[in-house]
Amino acid sequence: MIATKLFELPEQVTPENFEDVMVQAITLELATIPTYLSTYYSINRAQNQDVLYAKILAQLKAASLNSEIDFSSLAQELKLDVLLYSNKSAALVMSVVIEEMLHLALASNVKQAICQIPPDLMAIGKVLSFPTQLDGHIPEFQINAAKLSLEQLTTFLQIESPEPFVDPNSPPLMRSIVKYQTIGKLYDQIIECIKEHFPGPYTQQPQLLPPEPKAPPRPFYGQNSSNTVHYDKDHNPIFANADDSGGLVGVYDSVSAIEALGRIQEQGEGKSKDNQHILEWGPDKMPVPMPVVDGKVEFWEGDYDDSGKELAHFAKFLEAYSLGGYYQKKFKGIAGLDDFFSYFVYDTAANATQADYDHSGNNALALCNKLGNATFAYILLMIETCYYKDESTQFDLFMYGIHKSMIWLLSGVGNQIKDYNYTKDGKAYRGSVTWEHYPFEDKPGISPKQQLIDLMTSLAKADSTNWGWAIKAEYANYWPALPDVSLDHNVGPNVPNIPLKNN
Amino acid sequence: MEEIQVNNELHVCMGINSCKGMGYSGTNDCAGKGDCATAVVHPCHTLNECKGQGACGIFGTTEEFCHPGENDCRYQGSCGVPILDSRFISQGPNKGRSVWQLARKRFEEKRIAAHQPFGAAPAGIYGPSNDFINKLKNQPAGTDNSSCGQSGSRSCSYIADPIARKAAAELRVLAVNIESGVMMDETLTTCKNVE
Repeated sequence: MIATKLFELPEQVTPENFEDVMVQAITLELATIPTYLSTYYSINRAQNQDVLYAKILAQLKAASLNSEIDFSSLAQELKLDVLLYSNKSAALVMSVVIEEMLHLALASNVKQAICQIPPDLMAIGKVLSFPTQLDGHIPEFQINAAKLSLEQLTTFLQIESPEPFVDPNSPPLMRSIVKYQTIGKLYDQIIECIKEHFPGPYTQQPQLLPPEPKAPPRPFYGQNSSNTVHYDKDHNPIFANADDSGGLVGVYDSVSAIEALGRIQEQGEGKSKDNQHILEWGPDKMPVPMPVVDGKVEFWEGDYDDSGKELAHFAKFLEAYSLGGYYQKKFKGIAGLDDFFSYFVYDTAANATQADYDHSGNNALALCNKLGNATFAYILLMIETCYYKDESTQFDLFMYGIHKSMIWLLSGVGNQIKDYNYTKDGKAYRGSVTWEHYPFEDKPGISPKQQLIDLMTSLAKADSTNWGWAIKAEYANYWPALPDVSLDHNVGPNVPNIPLKNN
Repeated sequence: MEEIQVNNELHVCMGINSCKGMGYSGTNDCAGKGDCATAVVHPCHTLNECKGQGACGIFGTTEEFCHPGENDCRYQGSCGVPILDSRFISQGPNKGRSVWQLARKRFEEKRIAAHQPFGAAPAGIYGPSNDFINKLKNQPAGTDNSSCGQSGSRSCSYIADPIARKAAAELRVLAVNIESGVMMDETLTTCKNVE
């Protein structure tokens, strides 16, 4: 399959191409979200521990010639390995997804302030398809929408690498002539251009702003949620993001613009620093993992952001990669066990498409995926619309639309679609969201929200067992309660019907 | 002073009712002694039906997590109802601390400010356990009354033996609740600082 190119990295950021470069930056941030979500949804992060224990114990017993050996302690240990790693890796991926959504807003704030042009997220969504690549990133590498694996984590490490790297899988001749780049260096160029050419102050346009005393409520961003929590072996909660890792930044001048972009760099791939882990390749052409001792890795000072409390995305993914490799090797060395990842990763196909589902004959799967793609597109539409509207409307869009869509609607589809099976090229897979553009514009007489509800209704009729609830009156707080947003960014008044405050 | 009386009060949990007879089973003697939520049970962020029916702790912002059960409108709640003793705040400087205790504290603050009396919460000072809710509602043992989120139960342990597992989980939840009680003043101060 040929990877879809998203953009070309310019040689230099100038006032003339600044708008295009900001589109590239926003595209880059947006593209990471479905990439990481595909992997997140593939993880069964909270399975029944007794069933898992029984399965492992049975496998150990079946592989042993001596039926007198008591494998219960080993089965308990291996159960813990699976439970802790699956929950932790999922929490780490989700913690990055949350920050990528923040970065999307920060880059959009900068574009809005300096270019005076809102982000066109729907246009980006139209060209985004998997496999993709970060065109202009040197070296180029393929990005799949795929399940959790060491290979997928390798892709994440490439995306978030703080230092230029050589791709060992590229042809040897190419390696000697390519120039190495990182996402951080793209932002370095943007920052230099802002310093030199766009001092501000900028004319104010709608942006997504941080909470401030005496300002209207701005419940747009929270670093942690229940989904970024994982547990240690004693079941004490661990929070993947730090509270003070930084949130939204209002962009008014070059100082605040640089602060916003600096936040993306620092939280994301991390600034290039001394004493930090970097992407190094082993003889097997896979990243060199961190050493694992007693189930833990040791981070270095440079792996954290400037606050010293939060790991950069690269370090989070390197931890997931290192621990995953460690446990995979451990399980491989014990007779009778399956591949480590198979105990908690659903077998979804890389870069599945709507056409795959249409051809499979599984109508519910095909409809479910359309609903997932349409919900994702609607999230982009709602975020985009925030950049056209006042704070009151932004509040409504977030409270009644964006939060609900991410936490319940998209997440609901992303998790439930795995219950559908299909066959492609003779191999059976679980369903997964494909992240293809959903063409609301093809039905100009029907609002995007109504199209969503129509899809939901069709799915409920096609699979009443699993989705019949969605069309019951008591569940009107799901899709039917979304704000009514048109493709030209009009927001229906008082939709959903919200009582006046203090009533 | 005469106690405020309202009809069909909807509130998010045990011990957070304003009036006599306004707990889940309607048998409570006075404010603060109701046995469970009367708000429409819902699982999560923004799915609440009415003002004051959203809890907090699982999805939302630091500011929202400071005000369980105090949302202004329908669909503005931060999280699901009822609030179990095991639910902890997942965002902000107060993360890891008890949601129910903060909800009860907010309730007490309002009662005191209005010079209104209130009684002790029936399941104790740390909020209702899952078992308490199941017995109250005549649900099968083991029915999960916790709310949304994909990271798994907040009240659990990984011990192989189910009885020892449950005991260890209860001990851990108790430890969190004791610490949350000790830290309540700091929790309230933190909330003031972010408002």
